[in-house]
Amino acid sequence: MMRVDLAVVGAGPAGLAAAAEAVTHGMTVALIDDNARPGGQYFRHVPPSFRRTAATAFDKDRARAEALFAITRHPQVTYLPEATVWDVPEPLTLAVAAGPRSGQVEAGAIVVAAGAHDRPVPFPGWTLPGVVSAGGVQNLIKGFRLVPGTRAAVAGNGPLLFLIGASLLRAGVAVAAVVEAAPIDRRLPAALPQLLAAPEILQQALDYRWALLRAGVPVLTGWAPVNAEGEDAVRAVQAAPIAEDGSVDRARARSFDCDLLVVGFGLVPSVELLRLAGAGLRFDRRRGGWLPERDEALETTRRNIFAAGDGTGIGGVELALIEGRRAAVEAAVQLSRIAPFAADEIRAGLRRRWKRLDRFRRGIEALFAPPKDFLALQTPQTVLCRCEEVTRQEIEERRAEGFRGAVQLKSTTRMGMGRCQGRNCMATLAALVAADSGASESAVALPKARAPARPIPIGDLLHETIPPPDLPADPHLPRKRRT
Amino acid sequence: MTSIPSRADAVIVGAGIAGLCTALPLAKAGRTVVVLDRGAAWGDASGANAGTLSLQVKRPEVLHVTRRAIELWQAMRAELGADVGFAKPGGLRVATSEKELGMLRGSMAVQASLGLETEWLEGNRLRDAAPWLGPSVRAATWCDWDALSSPLLAGRALLAAARRRGVTVQDQAEVTAIAALDRGYRVTTAAGTVDCAQLVIAAGAWTGKVAALLGVDLPVDADVNMLSVTEPAPPLLDKVVTHMGGVLSLKQYPNGTVMIGGGWQGRGSHQSMRRETDHLNLLHNMRVACAIVPALKDLRLVRSWAGFEGVASDALPLLGALPGRPGAFVNACARGGYSQGPALGEQMAELMLTGRTSLDVARFDPARFAAAGAHA
Repeated sequence: MMRVDLAVVGAGPAGLAAAAEAVTHGMTVALIDDNARPGGQYFRHVPPSFRRTAATAFDKDRARAEALFAITRHPQVTYLPEATVWDVPEPLTLAVAAGPRSGQVEAGAIVVAAGAHDRPVPFPGWTLPGVVSAGGVQNLIKGFRLVPGTRAAVAGNGPLLFLIGASLLRAGVAVAAVVEAAPIDRRLPAALPQLLAAPEILQQALDYRWALLRAGVPVLTGWAPVNAEGEDAVRAVQAAPIAEDGSVDRARARSFDCDLLVVGFGLVPSVELLRLAGAGLRFDRRRGGWLPERDEALETTRRNIFAAGDGTGIGGVELALIEGRRAAVEAAVQLSRIAPFAADEIRAGLRRRWKRLDRFRRGIEALFAPPKDFLALQTPQTVLCRCEEVTRQEIEERRAEGFRGAVQLKSTTRMGMGRCQGRNCMATLAALVAADSGASESAVALPKARAPARPIPIGDLLHETIPPPDLPADPHLPRKRRT
Repeated sequence: MTSIPSRADAVIVGAGIAGLCTALPLAKAGRTVVVLDRGAAWGDASGANAGTLSLQVKRPEVLHVTRRAIELWQAMRAELGADVGFAKPGGLRVATSEKELGMLRGSMAVQASLGLETEWLEGNRLRDAAPWLGPSVRAATWCDWDALSSPLLAGRALLAAARRRGVTVQDQAEVTAIAALDRGYRVTTAAGTVDCAQLVIAAGAWTGKVAALLGVDLPVDADVNMLSVTEPAPPLLDKVVTHMGGVLSLKQYPNGTVMIGGGWQGRGSHQSMRRETDHLNLLHNMRVACAIVPALKDLRLVRSWAGFEGVASDALPLLGALPGRPGAFVNACARGGYSQGPALGEQMAELMLTGRTSLDVARFDPARFAAAGAHA
């Protein structure tokens, strides 16, 4: 058992910023991260063994990243890379699986900066080799300088698509098309005032769009991928117009040849750990779905558990850096490590920037607001759950048998019961149930959060010293338990 | 929401294994049946249990019904026309200490006296039969009756079969009042009211609560059993594993996932409706499992959960007529009720249809609890 003032889950921008802020207030920190190296998704970088031969997008942020990474070597910080937080056995205790280092971390406060993952949206052919998620492609480019194709199409919903299109061009890959579901060109004038709150980020976005234009890449807005074609690997993608109500006009479909289809329908905040901790969630479709409820101090409904960064709703790196700092300041206040006036000063500075970036974020959300759902992209044969290979048709068959809710459909089809435990398909199931019942997605009762928050090797559970078990005298009789 | 019929020959409270296995033979005999569930059908113990159908792990008083149940499980695919994930690979009941060795020998002798022959395995014979067992296992008894099924498949199959036979299965229909009529009962639920000639309480952990609506006091509590499942893995163990001390059950399903149980307790209670996993007991459960099958160390745990198991104070089934309440019955709280369910349902239906049972179930009579009828 390790005891620290602050446990930070996630060493991405928000987590690194939280750790850096915390040590300035004299706090001891455990910085726990799934990855082998710090930085999260945004500051993902090639291993030291790689030799750099060309400049990349990361170089611009290199100095900032290196400064943030330094916190992992700070004497007050215990940095635990390749470590998975899998349970919250007590309100402020985390169970960590990390090979022989596995055990519990007890903290005065916790900052959960768990980040976000790609939102999978099923459509015919989306499981073909060569169809890769936006986050996956970014990881390959940033972490390995690798692009798994020569002619790419990019499709989905959200601002990342343009960034990826431009990165692919820079990496020397031909881009066949960028297909964006939201009619952003039509919406741009209305969203512009909010977007101008952060002109420097808007400029970046326009640069990406300009790069695509210059390269003659067709950009279709208000369109969605309706079919990825190919036998053993993707050969082409068909796209068709999609309306705000989610209906698709397949008659107007256009086809683009490609050997790489990058699909990104936005990001989903990773809230498994917060659910496990019993923190209250709220639903915000534009911001990624289920998000932790937080107060002004970024505290969740669980005392001394704070949440920061994209794991609380997609906001991007700049917002995440501010939130990480803010959460650490609030934790320091709770633990009486900072004088109130000093805290107020930091808060005021952060608050101004946070407001500006939050305004920009709202502009982006208005611009890229997705259609009601993406269910019309599916056909009966479309696989909805990749782990258990459950198709839309199987769901319809269970419905015909009388099974209706998400929990019942899950247990009768095994959708969401495989390796990913529903992280990838539960949103699809919720959308299906919502469409069926006429209720909103937020009203669909989802299966309970259970340990482990992520799959963990059972061998990791054998290292900790624990008291001997209380064995039953007669196993048939009712057993003793803690209530 | 569909409304429930206003009358039926039989109303069964609880759409788990006990309720559905009672409903099916009644419907087959031509009775109209309504099955009510306070939540989702198959949503509690029946859907959340390990699916183990082990005969040799059962206590002597229920061996005969469990044996009959395994026969019925085996026939279920043909009977229901749907796969219930039944397989009968046989099982090993292991002992890891001197004390457990003694208990295992004793249990083996008692079982033999009741007509269940098991085989004692130790040393090389044990390693040959199960090379995947760890060195901590000193001996085991082999029972070729031990089997397994999939609770998820079985639930789907039983519910579909019940609906096909015209049984009304009503979800979200918690029973709030039961009134005696001249003949039979009026059952008031969250989803409507239904009159019936015969009433069966098959409500698992909530059996005591429902019986109380009839003024009958049954000493029912609920364990909060934890279970864990691994990612799919290559074939690792080809038999059902149980433990003399009652702290482990293990088996691998055809899809490669390994189910790990053993009655380790989670937190919560059926009164509070809270059922959480208990961190420390999960660690104990995994350690016991890895000591007995060391290769489990290399698998990933993907999910743990906890489910209620209703259990009477003497841990024997409650099966029979409720004393002083003509036409009212109980079929609940059998320890390992999932494995015994098909036989207990069959016996319950026989009792309701003919007044007799083909198996001796006298020991399970709810009248054994003196408090029954105390509020009459």
